[in-house]
Order: sequence, then C-alpha cells, then structure tokens
Amino acid sequence: MPYVGATFRWPGTLIVAILIAVATLHGQRPASATYDGERQIRLEGSITRIDWVNPRAFLFIDVRDASGTVANWAIDIGNPIELERQQWRRSAVRLGDVVVVQAMPARGPARQALARSVMLGASRKQLFTSPTVRAAARHAPTPRWPDGQVRLGPPPGQKGYWRPAGAKALVESSAASVRMNDDGLLANLSDADRVAPFQPWSKAVYLHRQRTLLKDDPIAHCMPPGGPRQFMSPNGFQFVEQRELGRILVLLGGGNRNWRVIYADGRAQGQAAEAVLTFYGTSVGRWEKDTLVVDSIGYNERFWFSNGGLPHTEALHLTERFSRPDVDTLKYEVTVDDPRTYTRPWKGGWDVAWVAGEDIEEYFCEENAEATFVR
Amino acid sequence: MKSAALLLICALVVFPARAPLAQEGHPLTGTWSGDWGVGAAKRTHITMVMAWDGTSITGTINPGPDAIAVPAIALDVTTWTIRFEADTKDGRIAAEGRIDDIAAAHRTIAGTWRQGTTKGDFKLTRD
Repeated sequence: MPYVGATFRWPGTLIVAILIAVATLHGQRPASATYDGERQIRLEGSITRIDWVNPRAFLFIDVRDASGTVANWAIDIGNPIELERQQWRRSAVRLGDVVVVQAMPARGPARQALARSVMLGASRKQLFTSPTVRAAARHAPTPRWPDGQVRLGPPPGQKGYWRPAGAKALVESSAASVRMNDDGLLANLSDADRVAPFQPWSKAVYLHRQRTLLKDDPIAHCMPPGGPRQFMSPNGFQFVEQRELGRILVLLGGGNRNWRVIYADGRAQGQAAEAVLTFYGTSVGRWEKDTLVVDSIGYNERFWFSNGGLPHTEALHLTERFSRPDVDTLKYEVTVDDPRTYTRPWKGGWDVAWVAGEDIEEYFCEENAEATFVR
Repeated sequence: MKSAALLLICALVVFPARAPLAQEGHPLTGTWSGDWGVGAAKRTHITMVMAWDGTSITGTINPGPDAIAVPAIALDVTTWTIRFEADTKDGRIAAEGRIDDIAAAHRTIAGTWRQGTTKGDFKLTRD
C-alpha cells in the first residue's frame, strides 16, 4: 500500500535496488543545506514526469498518503552524467511505473527528496546497478615527459582525469581525525579548533556557517570554487601542461567549468598589494625534483576555499605541493597562510585518484536549479 | 501604459535579478553607508569604511576632506556587536551597534550614538 512520510532508521543491511552515492552526485549546493540528513522517508508512487537534465535529474511521482490525498513529489536522483556512468539510463523507467524510493526529505515544506535508492514497486526489479567500484590502484610507474619531468596529465596516447579530493574538507593535518559529513559539516562543533588555528572572528564565522548548515555557501550561487576547493568540485579536474608556453592549466569538471592558470615559466610571484583579486588568485609554479610547488596570492573574498565554510581574507597565501608517486595517485598538500584569519600557517591535504580512459563530462552549475521544484 | 509594461519586461529579461555577491571575509571589512541622526526627521547620510589588518579594526567616517578617523573598533564576536569612538570637530562621539546577519551580502549594523548629552541612532548597510 502506498504511503508517505514514514520516518525510520536505516537497517544495517538494506536490500534495495540501488544505493546512490549522494556525496559524489550532489553537486554544487551542499546537500545538507537542502536536505535533512537526519530524516529518512519512504515514498511509493507512480512516475508522472522524468527530467533527465544537467545538473540534476529528477523523477516526479504521485504519492498517496494515508488519508487518500495525492501529492506530487520531486525526487532528486543526482547528476545524469554520473548516473549514466554508473549504468543508469533514462529508459530504465517509464511514465506510470510505480517506484519505491528511500530518501532524505528537503528541509521545510517542499515535497522534494534526495533519493538513496529507487526500485520498481511491483516487481522489486532492480532499476539500476550499484555504483561502479573503481579499480584498485595499479601502481604503474609515474608517467614522465621525455626529459624525465613528471607528467600531471595522462600518459602519452591515453586519456584520463583526476577525481575530486579524497577528503570531505580541508583540515589541519595534525588533527588525527575530525568527524564530519560529506559537505564538511562537523559531527561535533567542539572539534572546530582541530580543523584550523582560527582567530576568534574566523572561528565565530566558521561556526555560524556550520550552525546554519552551510546555507550561505557561495557555490549555491555558482560562484567559482577557489583555493583547495577547486579540487573538491564534483566531476574532477584535469591538468593541461603547456610546456611550450610555460604554463599549466587546471581544468575543472564542476562549477562553471572554470580553469586556472599556473605560470611555470620562471617568473617571480608579484607583490600582494598589486595583485588583481580573483577567485583563483595568481599562481606561479616551479618543479622541485618530482614535486610541483605552486605559490598563489591575490584571492578575492567571495568564495569559501574548502567545503565546510573555512573563511579567509584577501591576505590568503597558499603554497600547494603536487606530487605523483604512481600513475593513479596525486598527492596534494597545501599550506594556508592568512594571518588575518588564522593564528599561524597550517597544512592540510589529501590524495586524489586517477580515472583512466575517460574524459571529464559536461557539468554546469545552474543557480538555484533545485528551486524549480520547490512547491 | 502598454509600452511601459513592455519596457519593464524587457528590462527584467536583459537585467535579470541576481543574488547579491557576499563578501565572505571579515564581516566588518568594506564600505558601509546609511544615516544617523536624532529621531526620524533629522537624518544625515554617512559613509563608513572599515578595515581589518589581522590585529585591529580601524575605520573612516565620510572619507574625503572632512573625514573622521576611527582609530579602533571593538568587535565582540559572541554577539556581533561593535563599539567605537571618534573625535569630530564638534566633540567626541561614542557609538555601539550590532550586525544583524553576518552572512548577508548587504548586512546591516544598527545602533546608537552619543555626543555629549545628545543621543541618537544610526543604521549602516554594507555596499
């Protein structure tokens, strides 16, 4: 019998058709800002509309409640390109199909939910396969240019790109473990001091962002993800090394498909006071043996430089170190030096995995795309 | 009337409403404008520029030939209240106010000021 609104706890082993990788599928807007991760609902109803569009695909279903009233729900099933990569197809469902959805509901009164799983109601047929399990790292040798310098892109004749950061948010590396969700929301706000050495004002701002569930995240308005956050952007990133031009381009798969330029032609970094303030700053790189060291200044204050809402000022100075110990691994370390925001310089970082044989797919941020469905 | 409506529609198409871009750094940094006065009838426009250098917040009221320097602005981050004093040609003023929403692009500070025995209120909005 169809019903709606039942709140329940997830069983330890859930036999469902699919498990949707919410964190990787939910793109620009932090899921925590839109959906209530503390609640889970089960919805059953027939499909009335299928919106298989970028950046978010939606199924609309008519759900009848216990009183017999029918209401139409918008079910967010993620980015369609990622779904197709995981063998989802638009043709897997048709108008009129009855589906059972396990989902987290939107905050507030909107009849919208973020799907955890979807299956055909009558037959319990699996609609979609589980997310692809990435192949284990091959630990093949680091690809190199003819002169021996490390290549940050694919080996010759191949294609590929780097997946998003293997971390939920930037955290000082001396912190053993800080529990947080996929958007960088702390499980315990008292852990804030372990995230970074905040000044009093920046800690207060960080906690305000945490307490308000990241609702003011500039990324929700499609602002570019400057600083380390560019590597957290969904759909990954790519390096294009233009050695003849003395520069390296960082192409981002998410956001508005921005790019960043790292000048590697031997020029010196400019004066901070003279910098034109931008989202990606002014970056100058040099190779120290097998490590690319990038010095960046000149950031504006219109973005959050990590998931979770870390503040910064125009004084932000980043020193990033990129190394590639094998073909499938990129090690990223960043030193954050912003004396107006933090009491001392601090380091964080993560590993990034290589996606071999694929190109970054189109993914454009659309401001408030989800608002279309709020009713 | 029809042409006015058409013009309005064209304007909305060409210049669609956009969410304002917030300054995400120190909540006080930037240019604020508003007014101050005694009561609703007697208001004076004011522009105030505030800056955070990592150790202190300073400000300037009405930058230009008649600028008033604000050498120190105290900020209580637990309540987001500010206090400052400044010397004007008419004597020293003391003011205190509160930021209403630190995340808002056009956040405001509302409060009161005192100069001798005169008291009034002020409201500033970040540009």
